[in-house]
Amino acid sequence: MSLWKETLRRLAYLGRRSRFDADLDTEVEFHIETRADELARAGMPRPTALAQARREFGSPARMAEETRSAWQFRWLEDLAADLHYAARAFRRNPAFAATAIACLALGIGANTTIFSIAAEVLFSQPSVRDPYSLVRVDIGGNSASPVREYEFLRDAHTFPGLAGENEEMETNWRDSDNTYRLSVVRVTDNFFDVTGIPVALGRPIQPGDSDRVVLTYGFWQRRLGGAPDVIGRKLLLDGRIDTVSAVLPRDHRTVTGFGFSPDLYAPVTDPKTYVTLYARLEPGTTRLAALSRLKPACQELDRAYPDGNHKWANNLHVSAVSGIERIDTEHELMRPVAGFFAVLMVVVGLVLLIACANVASLLLARASSRSHELAVRLSIGAGRGRIVRQLLAESLLLSACGTGAGLAINIGLTTLLSRIQLPLPIPIQFLIQPDWRLLAYAAAVALVCSLAASLAPAVKGTGVGISAMLKHGEHQLGRHVWTLRNVLVVGQLAASIVLLCAGFLFLRNLVNASAMSPGFDIEHTVWAYMRLVPESYRDPAKTRGLVDAAVERLRSLPGVETAAIARVVPLNNNMRRGTEVSTDLNSRGLHVEFHINYVGPGYFQAMQIPIVTGREFLPADRKGAPRVAILNQNLARRVFGAVDPARHFVRFGQGETILVAGVAKNSKYFSLGEENALAYYEPYDQSPGPVADLHFLVRATGRPEPLIPGINTSLGQLDPTASLEIKPMSKALVFAMLPSRVGAAILGSMGMLGLLLASVGLYGVLLYSVSRRIREIGLRVALGATPAGILRLVLRQSAVLSAAGIGIGMALAVFAVRPLARFLSPEVRPADLMNFVVVGAVLAAVALAATLSPAVRALRVDPVEALRHE
Amino acid sequence: MAKHERYQNRIELLQGTLDMLILQTLSWGAQHGYGIGQAIRAGSGDVLQVETGSLYPALHRLEKQGWIKSEWRNSEHNQRAKYYQLTAAGKKQLTSEYSRWSRMSAAIAGLMNPGESEGQA
Amino acid sequence: MGERTIPELLPGTLYMLILRTLSGGPLHGYAIAKRVKETSHQGLVIEDGSLYPALNRMLVKGWLEAEWGISENHRKARFYRLTPEGRKQLDHEAEEFDRLVRAIQLVMRTA
Repeated sequence: MSLWKETLRRLAYLGRRSRFDADLDTEVEFHIETRADELARAGMPRPTALAQARREFGSPARMAEETRSAWQFRWLEDLAADLHYAARAFRRNPAFAATAIACLALGIGANTTIFSIAAEVLFSQPSVRDPYSLVRVDIGGNSASPVREYEFLRDAHTFPGLAGENEEMETNWRDSDNTYRLSVVRVTDNFFDVTGIPVALGRPIQPGDSDRVVLTYGFWQRRLGGAPDVIGRKLLLDGRIDTVSAVLPRDHRTVTGFGFSPDLYAPVTDPKTYVTLYARLEPGTTRLAALSRLKPACQELDRAYPDGNHKWANNLHVSAVSGIERIDTEHELMRPVAGFFAVLMVVVGLVLLIACANVASLLLARASSRSHELAVRLSIGAGRGRIVRQLLAESLLLSACGTGAGLAINIGLTTLLSRIQLPLPIPIQFLIQPDWRLLAYAAAVALVCSLAASLAPAVKGTGVGISAMLKHGEHQLGRHVWTLRNVLVVGQLAASIVLLCAGFLFLRNLVNASAMSPGFDIEHTVWAYMRLVPESYRDPAKTRGLVDAAVERLRSLPGVETAAIARVVPLNNNMRRGTEVSTDLNSRGLHVEFHINYVGPGYFQAMQIPIVTGREFLPADRKGAPRVAILNQNLARRVFGAVDPARHFVRFGQGETILVAGVAKNSKYFSLGEENALAYYEPYDQSPGPVADLHFLVRATGRPEPLIPGINTSLGQLDPTASLEIKPMSKALVFAMLPSRVGAAILGSMGMLGLLLASVGLYGVLLYSVSRRIREIGLRVALGATPAGILRLVLRQSAVLSAAGIGIGMALAVFAVRPLARFLSPEVRPADLMNFVVVGAVLAAVALAATLSPAVRALRVDPVEALRHE
Repeated sequence: MAKHERYQNRIELLQGTLDMLILQTLSWGAQHGYGIGQAIRAGSGDVLQVETGSLYPALHRLEKQGWIKSEWRNSEHNQRAKYYQLTAAGKKQLTSEYSRWSRMSAAIAGLMNPGESEGQA
Repeated sequence: MGERTIPELLPGTLYMLILRTLSGGPLHGYAIAKRVKETSHQGLVIEDGSLYPALNRMLVKGWLEAEWGISENHRKARFYRLTPEGRKQLDHEAEEFDRLVRAIQLVMRTA
């Protein structure tokens, strides 16, 4: 109660500080004058009396300071004083401070960087007006709907605003004599209205616009040189002239999210486009309410446009566009990504703990070497609490500096990451900016670190009794193996074992993945991706003609063994189908899901995928000819059992019968880690619909790189308005390899970091122990101990600590690495004994290295000096 | 002068008074640190409890100033302990400290209870 | 080391002395110091530099209240007055002090 009143009084003081100073001056003046009066009454002349009175009073400034401090909040003053003291102490002992701050900087830097990336990838908001009232609408169980259906729903005014977009589209941009393939988001004309996406220059696409485009900042800078006169500029896209009407801001984030970063936004031109629907809800409408409005509207839609068995009113989904909620509803791809980030956060959390343990250990060492000073302070009446506060202030200062340095590392790394363009088929670029969430997180981390690092030393340090102070001068023979510092080191070593096991697993995974054969040849293959302007190739016959001409040209190039066309490039693209299949041997339908590809003659030879039985596709397998197919071994076995499928027939649902021409050897289709995938091939010529994306696969007799210019020219001549991207197949594998590379890089480096920090901790403890036992060592040497004996002394302590750390670490690692299995390919098993053996050996080796310097120090002890040592 | 914000329930003795009490205790004979603390406590009727954190630094200080000296002996339980004893200079210091303290406490008492010696207000 | 010429207060008794002095009625700072000096016949002197900090601390704790008034020599001065909490504190400190002094006397008189 009185404390409360006191606080109120102090607060009141804050309000009248300036008045206070003036009042105090008046009071002091009065005091001095009154004294002077007395002296004057006793006979002293007035001026002398005044001077004397002032002298007697003493320094008014200091007194004013003290008086003021009576009113100020003590803890604030104390904290400031403590921090000042701590700063001075660190200046006197820079090595200690530098080590502690460096450890924290690394730990906090890693931690905050992963946090930043996770926040951006998983939780970022799209750059729209009021993201919480914008939702994504999926109808009929599809993620996108045709434009016709979209217009129906839009005109039914189910929601205040409904727009659509397709982010998977591309367009050929013809700029003087060059054609570039751009990533474009096709949007309905009301898209910018409904979403409220802000622009930096110009005005966005508006209802009624059909030829205006909005550029992204990146495209404007990279491809147009950031030209200031960009608004109104004309671009030739897919044979149409479009006008640039706006440029998006630099920090634009798409509604698709996850760092997706297209080149530009353009209106939908083809009515057969599928668009993903986004709806603007009235403020306060829940997603559930929106769902209930959607159903009747879709039922109307089904009545207006009946489509066989498919009903738009089934499988309705309304999902959020921002934040965590998005993860649940996005592609299954994102769940493992979220899981991976969870693993990363745990990993960097461990690294941070190891770093904190180092700081705690350093503080402990300092506390015990200052035990004398602390004992004296305790004896002259400094409360234990006060000293604990001092130690806390020290570790707070260390944490603050460490956090500052860590944030610098974070900003450095994230800026670097923001510049990288990942080599993926879809353009992804992360826009990682430091924001208030990062600062809040960093502050929380710093606070936790500082408490964690200082608690043990503070409690221990002030528990220093007089006995310790007295013993300070005496030699310590105690076999105190399990002191707090030693326990900390063992903990650090154990934690780094866990980290190393994880890192090692991912490294093995990478090696495994690199060595993994995709089942087709990548050493000699070139992949040429030619995208035609769709409007020019509405007639499938025209496309087929071009394809035939292209393949012929490619085959005639020098150094080319063979070439073929394919619809899908393995490990980069994917088409799947799930359906009922029956055969001429078994009319009962079997449900299968398989990868499907449409390939031209020579494909299997170009990719060096052996045909196990039967034959490849031939030029005779054209449109109009009887339908044929090739199965892979898995599919053949699934559908036909042990029977050789060649020359038998398959049938999908109630469709035509299709002759099985042959069986291809199993290979990888979408990811290197997949197992037992089923695959199905049909001839390219017999594929449905015109496609503008042509993938040519060229096999070289020698190395593939020299062929590239020739291919470029050759295909370019066929149609200059087509965009070309040509690269050796080995480069194309980057996408497939990316997860294992990223995993190995991050976890491998975290493992190394953890190991480094733990070894610094071990080194520190050993060195400290040696320095504390200098007298003992000197005594032993004087009594005849050999260098080997001294060495054994040091090594034994190191061995005990390392063994304990390794033992505990292994026990923990066995459990800890199990959940990692889902990120690794099946051949890499987390429980493999080999992993633990290697990791244990690595740690033992590093521990030995850390022991080296303290051992040398011990050996160098001069017995005479040592016995005088206090 | 040392600042004490408030009295605590356990009275803590500060430098001057503690010195005097130690010297007084040793004037009855040599004693080790633990014994000195005990003697002060007992002698004051359990009011004055000396913390080891204060006692030993005080002993250290008094020894440095030459008012007490120490030597290692076997205690009553046959353990090795450091025994302190008063020096001649210490005896003189004790007298002067006590007289100073007496004057001081008398003055304070006088102020606190002005009935006896107080003149006009 | 010998006698000190200027007597100092026993540590920790400053508050108690000020409280006692004010128990007779409000005074300004200078008067408090003067009263202490006179009543103890020069035995106890409060240093000017410690007086006002102590008074302010006691104000913060609520043992005293202060207000401006006119001194006997017709100048503007700040007068301090005991609060009820202050009186309680005075009693408490006086009691503790007595206890302490008795205890020390006990030790010092024992033969």
